[in-house]
Amino acid sequence: MRTATACMPQIPQLADQRILTPAQVALALNIISRMDFLRLKAIARLHARGLPPDIGWDDLLQEAFTRAMVGTRRKPQGVAMVAFLAGIMRSLRAEHWRRAHGGPASQESLRIDHQRDLSRAAELRDPGSDLERALLAREQIEAIEQLFAGDPVALGIIAGLAEGRSAAQIRTTMQITKTDYDSARKRMRRALLREGLTCGLN
Amino acid sequence: MRTKLTLSTPAAALGRILDQLDRELIEASDEDVLEAARDLGMNPMMKGSAAFLGLQCLSLAEFFDSDVLKSLLLERAAQKAAAVQLIRAASKQPNSLAKSTETRAWTAPCRSKKR
Repeated sequence: MRTATACMPQIPQLADQRILTPAQVALALNIISRMDFLRLKAIARLHARGLPPDIGWDDLLQEAFTRAMVGTRRKPQGVAMVAFLAGIMRSLRAEHWRRAHGGPASQESLRIDHQRDLSRAAELRDPGSDLERALLAREQIEAIEQLFAGDPVALGIIAGLAEGRSAAQIRTTMQITKTDYDSARKRMRRALLREGLTCGLN
Repeated sequence: MRTKLTLSTPAAALGRILDQLDRELIEASDEDVLEAARDLGMNPMMKGSAAFLGLQCLSLAEFFDSDVLKSLLLERAAQKAAAVQLIRAASKQPNSLAKSTETRAWTAPCRSKKR
């Protein structure tokens, strides 16, 4: 418990456990800037894409804050508050999938030895997936691709990420330089932020 | 020999995409956020900017940043400090009894007389 909260600012004499936890979270929340809130808004919008339509991005963000404040989730030492809350949202997404489909959220890959060679990777169909989940996921992938329409490099990166390729593998496959890759990432980041910022406008 | 098994369902692919893009947003600089806002004609530096619309938890965070909570926390801290001082003072009491009999004779209240 001490190590999990050691990085947070301390108020002297607040040794009472009932006061300490919410106070620490409150102090940590002071660290979050208005820019961080906008970042979190975009992250929440992103993760809500993997959720059933009745669960909105604001529900996800609200739940992440609640878990951080009540102490259900404790911030590990050295982890930035935005990354911590993003992590909670990520696990909430997985939790929702698990609950909705009664199985593990997504076991992305199953390593059978220590070599990393995707050209020798075997495709394995997920037997637990159902049609509804597949349709929803496909719809969301298309919506994400739509965000980067007209940017072939960004679309190539998305395709590479979907296949679980690393940055180096994507660059090699697409035959692009690191500079091209990084500029595409910057464009993607801005497109995602723009999308996040327009949430709640209508 | 194949070395890695990869799930190819749309859900697994979506999960991989979201996890990677989420990192991009975590790493986004303030300048990135401001540029994106500027593209949309928003100014997040302005109070009541449209960029913050829909952020219900912002009011909650503003509460945590508020003077009300700070003063409440300081008040509780002061109460706690006072309690700790009382305990320390009480624990020091037996030491005063260890003073010399002469000192005790001078400082001890006279119990025989009613005041």
